[in-house]
Amino acid sequence: MPPKGNKMESTLLERDQAASVKTDERAGKYLVFQLASEEFGIRVLKVREIMGVQDITAVPQTPSYVKGVINLRGKVIPVVDLRLKFGLPQAEYTQRTCIIVVQVQGEAGPMLMGIVVDGVAEVANLAAADIEDTPAFTTSGEKSYLLGMAKVKGKVKILLDIDQALGNQELHSLEGLPGIR
Amino acid sequence: MSGQSHKHGPAAGLLQCLDEIAAQVILGTGAGEGCDVAGALAKLATQAGQAGYGEAAEIAASLHARSEQQSDAGTRERVLVEGLARLQAVLRGEPSPAAAQPQTPPAAPINPIAQDPELIGDFVMESREHLASIETQLLTLEQNPTDSEAMHAAFRGFHTIKGLAGFLELNTIREVAHQVETVLDQARNGELAITPAVIDVVLQSGDFLKASVAIVEEALGSGSPAVFGDPTALLASVLGLTTVQSPSAQPAATAPKPPGPVAAASPPADTTPAVEPPAARAAKQTTATDNLKVRVDAAKLDYLMDMVGEMVIAQSMIRHHPALTAQQDSRLNGCIAQLSRITGEVQRTAMALRMIPIGQLFQRTARVVRDLARKHGKLVDLETSGEDTELDKSIAEELSDPLMHMVRNAVDHGIEHPADREKAGKEPTSRLRLAAYHQAGMIVVEVADDGRGLDRAKILKKARERGLVDANAHLSESEVCSLIFEPGFSTAEKVTDVSGRGVGMDVVRKQIQKLRGRVDIVTRPGHGTTFYMRMPLTLAIIDGLAVSVGSQNYIVPIFSVREMFRPQAGQISTVQGRDEMALVRDRLLPVVRLHKRFAVEPRYANPYDALLIVAEAEGRPFCLMVDELIGKQEVVIKSLGETFRGVPGIAGGAILGDGKVGLILDIAGLRGGSAG
Repeated sequence: MPPKGNKMESTLLERDQAASVKTDERAGKYLVFQLASEEFGIRVLKVREIMGVQDITAVPQTPSYVKGVINLRGKVIPVVDLRLKFGLPQAEYTQRTCIIVVQVQGEAGPMLMGIVVDGVAEVANLAAADIEDTPAFTTSGEKSYLLGMAKVKGKVKILLDIDQALGNQELHSLEGLPGIR
Repeated sequence: MSGQSHKHGPAAGLLQCLDEIAAQVILGTGAGEGCDVAGALAKLATQAGQAGYGEAAEIAASLHARSEQQSDAGTRERVLVEGLARLQAVLRGEPSPAAAQPQTPPAAPINPIAQDPELIGDFVMESREHLASIETQLLTLEQNPTDSEAMHAAFRGFHTIKGLAGFLELNTIREVAHQVETVLDQARNGELAITPAVIDVVLQSGDFLKASVAIVEEALGSGSPAVFGDPTALLASVLGLTTVQSPSAQPAATAPKPPGPVAAASPPADTTPAVEPPAARAAKQTTATDNLKVRVDAAKLDYLMDMVGEMVIAQSMIRHHPALTAQQDSRLNGCIAQLSRITGEVQRTAMALRMIPIGQLFQRTARVVRDLARKHGKLVDLETSGEDTELDKSIAEELSDPLMHMVRNAVDHGIEHPADREKAGKEPTSRLRLAAYHQAGMIVVEVADDGRGLDRAKILKKARERGLVDANAHLSESEVCSLIFEPGFSTAEKVTDVSGRGVGMDVVRKQIQKLRGRVDIVTRPGHGTTFYMRMPLTLAIIDGLAVSVGSQNYIVPIFSVREMFRPQAGQISTVQGRDEMALVRDRLLPVVRLHKRFAVEPRYANPYDALLIVAEAEGRPFCLMVDELIGKQEVVIKSLGETFRGVPGIAGGAILGDGKVGLILDIAGLRGGSAG
């Protein structure tokens, strides 16, 4: 489909702003995926598509969690390994491994980005009652990229604010370089 | 507004006039000769204005403007019929929805911008086009004041802007356009002589309108009301034109138009077409061709390009698929060949969509040349050729500033005053030539003047003063010339507001280099200077060498590759135990090992097994060590996006023949890093 205006983006932004006031704004449809032993959820509206793992072209001098770039129907988009990004142990890519293409808010507007996850589970409709605030693990002023936690049938899903997790940062930041030998 | 009381006044005459027009439109008698209806509408607008029907006049004027733009007869008729119905309602004193609208909110601070953003957007774009064409026409007119076609075209431009602005309640714009239109109307009736002073004021008005249109656009973007500049001074000077010159002072006057004898019932067709049929017909033809163009959102075009690129890749993957290459079916082979041909054609067409003729750029320089020449008292004849030469729109945009600067430079520095020229035995009027043509897959733009040429001695002296060259250095002609591209270099004895500050030529070169082009100078003292700017036709595609390092493939832009070779024993030496140098054609060049720079595992760590590519960046060559050469290929450049902005050594991405992404190396970045 041809590119359209980012109307969706603006409604989402409004929602994000409202979320700080009213918790029920977090309710809605989430794409649930697996990463190590955890289940994570991201807003379905942020997801553009899901694809199997394909050949990723590595970009030199970028942090290790940046796997590189892929060709998404003529557009070159970056791919981030979410395991490495979150400090989880690296895993072999399998048949179940997926790239979820998400739209995140970059400095210069919305941009597409791929995230490598262990597998996609389901699309869950979460009610406000299911969602709780994240317990404060850290006291540092670091802006959290967690929207909250959802408990469904006794299982906990971690809800990610993908804009905070991936957007607004330059992936080639010189810190954490593999080092120039 | 027009109340019931007017019903039996001049309104009756106007209404009858309106009926005549409506009859023409509906019966289709006007369809063939649109100028009848258009002329009648214009007349109606004037009469309604005189009779005190301000609103009716405005509607008629805007209707006139809109109908002139419609080439499609059907749409035009619909627009006309609707508009005429509204006019009728207004003249009868019936409140129409459109007429009532401006009354409900008080006339004071309404924000018309917010009312219809789409219409305003169209207005901005259309006005821009009209203003650009007006400028060209005015410059033609200045050269040849009797050129009635240029006169009419300029008049029509302002008239259309007035109509549109009135329709959208952009009153400042309407007022200025209206006054200028009046001036031009007098001029075309021979009541006002076209002098450079008149052209000056009209051009200024054009500039004011341009600025106002920009304000409208900005307001449209921000959603705030448009705050225009104060047109009072400008209006005063425009009005000054019409009052100072008495009608008796007219020069070779064309027959003055009789002051609208359409009393009441006489069909307007009698007068208007008799005065201006050829011009009107010509104008109709040009608008017809203009309307054949389609405006397309750039994002859609980019999307199309992406998809076409993918299609070409998919096509080539099908074509080279083992299952297909093995088969012998001649019909299938024929189909595949046909598919390849068509995809190739589609790709070429898609690329061509982004191409625009360079003529628009040349037109813009015409104004700069005129203003500068007038200001400095120089006589300059601007000649252009190759206006139809096409180049990528993005290159054209990037080229605009450098071209403008070079033209300014030529007028300011290159071209002498008429007196000096006569002393030198040259024609007092100098020639400035802009030419564009394709050569060897590149576009070449020439800026040539027949002025004094570059002063070698002066340039050298200045360069030595600034320590740019050694006192004893012996420089070739072209090396001396290229000194003027050094930052902060200017030989102008006095700094003018145009040039001489030394910013400029270095920026010009940088900009052209950014476009992967270069600038050459040919100069003959006393005979003039020619600048040649050579650029690729498009930024979207480059020729590249695909090379491999370990498991990774990279693209080296071919324009920065000089040669490549496998080093022989002893050709590489180590400096201070860490930096490596290769002896290439009696020059020692630094060696950059790509695998070290990018921290990838190479196939060959020993440089004598590997391949050295002699690449050149910013005039400094060096050797790039890679494993293997895969081949030469044409690749479509893709941005890596903001995420990877400024990754050292990477210029961008490209989609390779197998659909994978390849990284294009930034040769300058790789070279720069090797110094340390």
